[in-house]
Amino acid sequence: MSWTVPLTDVVVTEDDIAAVLACYEAGWLTMGPRTVAFEAALARFCGTRHAVAVSSGTAALHLACRAAGIGPGDEVIVPSLTFLATAHAPRYCGAHTVLCDSTSPTDMNLSVADVEARITPRTAAVIAVHFCGYAADVAALRELCDDRGLVLIEDMAQAIGARYADGGICGSAGELACLSFFSKKQLSVGEGGAVVTGSDASAAAVASLRSHAMTSGTWDRHRGHEESYDVVDLGYNFRIDEPRAALGLARIGRLAAEIEARRTAVGWYRERLADLERVALLWDDEAVGRSSHFAFPIRTDSHELRVALRAGLAQRGIQTTRYPALHVLGEYAGHAAGGGLDVAETLADRHVCLPLWAQIDEPTVERVCDAVRQVVASGPLPGTPTGPKAEADTC
Amino acid sequence: MTSVGTAPAIPLFDLRLDPSDLAAVEQTLRSGWLTMGPRVEAFEAEFAAHLGARHALCVSSCTAALHLAYLAAGVGPGDEVIVPSITFAATANAALYCGATPVFADIVGPHDPGIDPEHVAALIGPRTKAVCAVHFAGYPAAVDVLAPLCARHGIALIEDVAHAPSATLDGRRLGTFGLAGAFSFFSNKILSCGEGGLVCTDDDRVAELARRLRSQGMTSGTWSRHNGATDTYDASGLGFNYRLDEPRAALLHSRFARLADDIAHRRRIVHRYRILLSGVDGLIVPYRDSDIATSSCYVMPVLVADPSRQGPLRRFLRAERSVQTSLFYPAVHEFSAFEARLGAQSLPRSQRWARSELTIPLYPHLTEAEQDRVVEAIAEGLRR
Repeated sequence: MSWTVPLTDVVVTEDDIAAVLACYEAGWLTMGPRTVAFEAALARFCGTRHAVAVSSGTAALHLACRAAGIGPGDEVIVPSLTFLATAHAPRYCGAHTVLCDSTSPTDMNLSVADVEARITPRTAAVIAVHFCGYAADVAALRELCDDRGLVLIEDMAQAIGARYADGGICGSAGELACLSFFSKKQLSVGEGGAVVTGSDASAAAVASLRSHAMTSGTWDRHRGHEESYDVVDLGYNFRIDEPRAALGLARIGRLAAEIEARRTAVGWYRERLADLERVALLWDDEAVGRSSHFAFPIRTDSHELRVALRAGLAQRGIQTTRYPALHVLGEYAGHAAGGGLDVAETLADRHVCLPLWAQIDEPTVERVCDAVRQVVASGPLPGTPTGPKAEADTC
Repeated sequence: MTSVGTAPAIPLFDLRLDPSDLAAVEQTLRSGWLTMGPRVEAFEAEFAAHLGARHALCVSSCTAALHLAYLAAGVGPGDEVIVPSITFAATANAALYCGATPVFADIVGPHDPGIDPEHVAALIGPRTKAVCAVHFAGYPAAVDVLAPLCARHGIALIEDVAHAPSATLDGRRLGTFGLAGAFSFFSNKILSCGEGGLVCTDDDRVAELARRLRSQGMTSGTWSRHNGATDTYDASGLGFNYRLDEPRAALLHSRFARLADDIAHRRRIVHRYRILLSGVDGLIVPYRDSDIATSSCYVMPVLVADPSRQGPLRRFLRAERSVQTSLFYPAVHEFSAFEARLGAQSLPRSQRWARSELTIPLYPHLTEAEQDRVVEAIAEGLRR
């Protein structure tokens, strides 16, 4: 199947290509000077003291949990409306993941009130996800975590460059924050991620654990600094490599402008869809002004319309996506103890993410909006709710 | 990791890419499709055919490949995995990731640092779930003995083939003797792309598990959603992000065409090293001349007869002759983290190896003049 409007598009420039090819020509591929430079650029962009590049956003979350001391017997609260990796990370450390609800029908981010309700004596941390690029309510979360002695980790895999309500740039509210450079992301290199933190000790822990907790690296040994190494903890191979660091470094200079371009495109969508019956916009203009716009979700009035909308857009060659609530997936059915995840479940069941990337143009947005209007106009009326099903969609 | 210090005149390894490799990466970047897709699939098919294996699955590293292989072997909390100590830490760490305990077996001896099958047989107990054999430096471990031994005990044989792509034993590719093989494409490896790895297996169940768990336990991937094959996903099992991406797969696919030539160069260099080093007093050169033809000749290990000379010789080579060496490997059971977890253990042959080995420069374009310089420097260092 070939989409006429894909969900997203990665535009690689001549400068990007030149940077990557120069790296391959140099013949040094494992972490070295380009990784160091990329990390410095990331720390500058996020306004943090440290950035440590890793192999993926998942690896970043895993190592953030390790650096925070999460281990067996601990509980970590994460939103149900997120990508799987957020919930997997505490489990890699032997901890138990507790899912929490979303804030409201117009705010997909985790509910601070529900986080508070799920705190037990075993709770060690909260992972706040800045979903689709919109910052969670970190002021309230920070206060709650400080009051209850919990670590706050930010999952900003979708939110590099987003701003908090107080105007501060994402990455500094939590003890550690996690980035993703997966190919669909605002800053993409293929597979990659990073942890940003203000803590020297946390940065050192993440840097050590990403490379098997070895006391020296290949680059150090190449430069004659070290003869051998010790292994001082249970580490992993979560290294990024130089070509990906080179690509990230080439692209980060354009990131701020590309986020603004995404915001402009979201504005085109919101103007056109604001008055459409049976479809609601999420968040508000103030939040749009602060988001870094990984994705553009809209909310339909029913399960039936969401299914019809995705199918109808697919028929017109327009690719969309949707995030299932984790507790409806087989793997996480057992993590919804006590229920109370209704806001997330309904939002997950009724939302659709429309095509968005930095270079999308207004005619393309217009075309998508026309298609949305057509499908909604002839869409099925809400019937008896059948309940959400992760696999019920059909193209 | 700053740029102070100096690069050695003769490095341990040196990577040179061909213009066709760069063109392959460039074309991939221009396509704008970076996550696992057609290039990963193409390389997997090619590598599986080369091995004569039913399945090959690209992953993010050999560490990831070992983790998935152990999980596929059913390794879990309370289990034991028998591994050599003369290996990279990942071979043992992957058992810890599964909640299992690595049990270290000694090596055969100074002429063969492969895991000793007799010691393995003595270590197999009720909790043993798997044995991992490392094909050190590109030379086969005794998987012809270990495969039937493991079969008798109903446990899995996993091969750590990080050093040995394309190497054979009795005409069969290494990696195909056990339940699964784990390959490395790390930057200093024979076939490298930066960071990368691969799991091979003939077992459909192992392949299904590895395919699912390398991408978060999701039942469909981004590519299949992009090409319309699937529309959403479920999740089953605690998965990981162990994916390789398209630029790295394109590089591997391009470089794979020259793998046989690269290995032929390595074999010629190793053959010449063996002749030159045979006249150096105080040095033990592992393996036999006849082993070269089926080895992938990843690295060139030599041992000093007197272990007290190991450190001084390495420092002399580096400081006085600008020749980089490495140590393959410090014994894993002696690392602080392993001693703290498992207590001190005695593996005399492994410890002797770790205290007397040095790995000398080897790469396909190493010149005869450079080789001569390395050998003369070793001889001089040992005379001091």
